[in-house]
Amino acid sequence: MYDNHILTDVGCRNVWENGKKVGYGVNLKINYYRGLPLCCVDEIALEVDGEKVDPADMVVQHRGREYPYLEILKDDFPTDFYWVFGEMLRVVIKKENGIAQGRHQVKLKLATRRSYTPTMSATCEKTLTFA
Amino acid sequence: MKTNRDIKLGVSLYSYQDNYYFHKHDLEGCIAAAAGSGAEGIEVFADSMIAEWPYITDAFVDKWNGLMARYGVEQVCLDHFADRAMWKNKQLSDDQLFERSSMYIKAARKLGCSTVRILHNEHIGTGFSPVRLTDVKEVERLLPLCAELGVMMALECHAPTTIDDSIHEPYLEVAEKLGMPFVGLQADFSSYEYCFSKAGIGMMVRQGATEEILHFVRNSQREAYFNGVPFVYDEIKHLVEKMNPNEVDRKILPRIAKKSPASYETLKKYASKLVYVHGKFFDFDENGQVDNIDYPKVLQALQEGGYKGYISSEFEGNRSMNDIGWVDEIEYVRKHQALMRDCLGYNG
Repeated sequence: MYDNHILTDVGCRNVWENGKKVGYGVNLKINYYRGLPLCCVDEIALEVDGEKVDPADMVVQHRGREYPYLEILKDDFPTDFYWVFGEMLRVVIKKENGIAQGRHQVKLKLATRRSYTPTMSATCEKTLTFA
Repeated sequence: MKTNRDIKLGVSLYSYQDNYYFHKHDLEGCIAAAAGSGAEGIEVFADSMIAEWPYITDAFVDKWNGLMARYGVEQVCLDHFADRAMWKNKQLSDDQLFERSSMYIKAARKLGCSTVRILHNEHIGTGFSPVRLTDVKEVERLLPLCAELGVMMALECHAPTTIDDSIHEPYLEVAEKLGMPFVGLQADFSSYEYCFSKAGIGMMVRQGATEEILHFVRNSQREAYFNGVPFVYDEIKHLVEKMNPNEVDRKILPRIAKKSPASYETLKKYASKLVYVHGKFFDFDENGQVDNIDYPKVLQALQEGGYKGYISSEFEGNRSMNDIGWVDEIEYVRKHQALMRDCLGYNG
């Protein structure tokens, strides 16, 4: 379905604060034919240049708000924040010195829970250029 | 363009999902595409194309009504989902699911839809959904709200079920018991597939299946159907075995070998009772016919049986073909609407 498109090449860049790199971000799209509440995200797993990203270092930016990734997995996360169909969900990885500018191999596993099918998992691997 | 016909044609915006996902068209673009295909009704997936979902503002309602007026179409159905598995270790309670379902029904009313496609527990049979969807008890609780708002809950009878499958009956019984006729049967043409569509072949091959085997099984299904005999996979199984099926083939075959169309006679008998119809399709053959559903026969049964309501195009070939490139959903739906008008005698 949309497996090849869940990892986008839009907005891949370092995140800076006070002239220093403090992390980097990627934008994801949903692996389903409709939007889902953010709490229906079962897993976002990232691997960059063969190294697993620690989920505790990830934050999710959605419609002007930011949530630690591990928060959205909790059993009391609100049900009315929708990851809108076709809309990008930004994942920022907090990391001192960010990522070296240039090309990196990024692998994403995205799993979402739906109402009438079992949890669906999609993977996508791409070479992305980070600004 | 609005008509006074008994059977009207609509488009489910599901059909344009790639156009929306890849930002080729927004909600207005999809409605323009549907209207341009000649349809007069719109089925909307609030979860996909209403960006402010799950809440709908008055400003959106005004925009929506404006779109309906500008394109000369009307809203016919809103799709309901039953997302009970909200969290990893916890699910919505029955009360919470009821609240969410009520939200969909109220949204439908707000947008002027007289029908909600309800995701009932048995819509694709039993044993597939990992969670309990909208069951009979839930529908019983929703009926007073539907009666108050005048919204019909359409029970989509999707393959492998059929409209006369007894698993849908308890829902109708509960409506009768309460004297609230606000739940009814919705036919989905997936029940009338006589073979699998060629739209799926490419994807199955890319997943590792053997193309020759798929074509052989599909051709056998078509041959059986056009000769008026039931397709029995066991009769060709030994021939398939000679073609050395691999593991992927063995996994796929039991699923695709099951295709046999539900009865057109039964469809005719039920037609006047149906509350909504999904004109499902995946691809066309070289003669412009849907390549795995006998549209002339299905539409004839609905017409002769006295169906009054909408048939909405539901293009699903996008999902099987978009892994290798762009699928021209707008063109598919345009052809589909023309085919349905042909079958119903609207072009002459």
